[in-house]
Amino acid sequence: MDEFDFARSVTVGQYVPGTSVLHRLDPRAKLAAFVIVLAAIITSDSYIGNVVGLSAALGLVALAGIPVGYVLSGVRPIVPILVVFTVFNFLFLGNYDPTGSAVLWRQQVALGPYEFNFTVTESSMKQTVQGVVRIIALIVLTSTLTLTTTITGLAKGIETLLAPFRRVKVPGHEAAMVIAIAYRFVPTVADELERLMKAQASRGADFGRPGRLRFVKRARQMIPITVPLFVGAFRRAERLIMAMESRCYIGGKGRTPITLPALGRRDWTAIASAAVFTLAVWNVPWPL
Amino acid sequence: MSENVVEIQDLWHWYLRGTPLQTVALQGAELEIQSDDLAAIMGHTGSGKSSLIQHLNGILRPHRGTVRVFGNDLADPKLDVRPLRRMVGLVFQQPEMQLFDPTVGDDVAFGPRQLGGTPEEVRRRVRTAMERVGLSFEGFKDRYTFGLSGGEMRRVALAGVLALEPRLLVLDEPTAGLDPRGRRQLLESLRTIHAEGEMAVVIVSHDMDVVAELARRVWVLAGGRTVMRGSVREIFARVEELRELGLGIPQVSELAYELRRAGRDVRADVLTADELAEALWTNSTSPAA
Repeated sequence: MDEFDFARSVTVGQYVPGTSVLHRLDPRAKLAAFVIVLAAIITSDSYIGNVVGLSAALGLVALAGIPVGYVLSGVRPIVPILVVFTVFNFLFLGNYDPTGSAVLWRQQVALGPYEFNFTVTESSMKQTVQGVVRIIALIVLTSTLTLTTTITGLAKGIETLLAPFRRVKVPGHEAAMVIAIAYRFVPTVADELERLMKAQASRGADFGRPGRLRFVKRARQMIPITVPLFVGAFRRAERLIMAMESRCYIGGKGRTPITLPALGRRDWTAIASAAVFTLAVWNVPWPL
Repeated sequence: MSENVVEIQDLWHWYLRGTPLQTVALQGAELEIQSDDLAAIMGHTGSGKSSLIQHLNGILRPHRGTVRVFGNDLADPKLDVRPLRRMVGLVFQQPEMQLFDPTVGDDVAFGPRQLGGTPEEVRRRVRTAMERVGLSFEGFKDRYTFGLSGGEMRRVALAGVLALEPRLLVLDEPTAGLDPRGRRQLLESLRTIHAEGEMAVVIVSHDMDVVAELARRVWVLAGGRTVMRGSVREIFARVEELRELGLGIPQVSELAYELRRAGRDVRADVLTADELAEALWTNSTSPAA
């Protein structure tokens, strides 16, 4: 029905204003806590541990007061990739299982001159399922972070977390600035894309489905969109450079914030809870 | 005989519907356009003008209310809007941003080619459209699109829509960002296009002087609702109401209004400098008369 309402499916780079605990956390503390929870989610090596990780991520969404359905709609675009990834992992990963765990299923298939071995072992099964759960948990967690944090807050957080690495020449400020600018322009470019598609549709362009496999036709249809989109993006980049230079922007060297509030009790509690959660996920002897 | 080609009643539309960022754009808007209309839709920024006109060719679909355009019911999800997009030419704000082909002629030909006509038919449409906006076909068809001036690029974009030969032409802020000369040329083209009698013309603008100069009928939107409708003279005579809505009035009408407040007997519905001079002359109570 809403043919051109793209912004609806783009949850990346959006910020949903609110007053929840998550919104009020200091971005530095929030980022640190999220990184710690992230570590638990991507390293946990049990079914239950991963489900706990996903539940924790969904719990944080609820805590932020953001509808879970809205966050999950950000997962939808990657579902096709996820399906392909899962099918291939499921069928082939067992062939390369180094752990020597029990084989659950093995099948040899001859397709013309080619022969395929499908093998599912206990360990490959686990990795396949965990892969899916982890990716979803990851997306949910990172969207929760960006949906509750302003871009400037996020940039400041990244800068602070990267500051210790300055000694080894990691340009923390510049990295934060690049990430912030990239994030800032995701919704802008999505808006522009929407406007261009509407305008070209009004000139008779047909963005209907020519069939999923007609790549050339699909690519041809995109020319009236991509050319002006890039022209606009370059123009905008030039304006941004001009604006930054006219404000004498010289990068992070010698730049200090006007206000640097100390982390409060709430912030330390968040970091501590994240650490406790992660240690628990690592150390509890999950039965599965 | 003129008939209504657009009938919009109690139209509601939400952006980002179903997300935490949902906002209402239209809440009960109304609009009627006749087959030979020369109308303007006015309103403050955010009043829903652009959302309203995007319903006219099915870019947006009504979430509530009725939208009938050339007899098509836009609320019907099964309606194929492609034929409608050929009958309703919609020119977006800053249309020069949507140009993509390196040569002017090919860019204007994009729409007609999508319609699938013969090369001769495409050529005829491109020639007619370019000449309607005051660009000579021979002189401009092979020019490099991105080397044109802003005003020329806008006319190319307008030609790109005119080449579809719509029966209703809708323009969103057609004069915004043009210099006085570009603005005058564009308004002149629009007036000529309307006078040819093949299409109704609707402009969206918050520039009152443009509206006064071009339009005959005016619709005023505020907060997603239609709050005023009438002939251009009737609307601009209601100075206080317009001011309350944060809209201005044409400079000449403003001058007439201030003169009337200062005690001069000037009629309320003057739109042009000549009319004001005449009104002052005929009603003048000064000894010079």
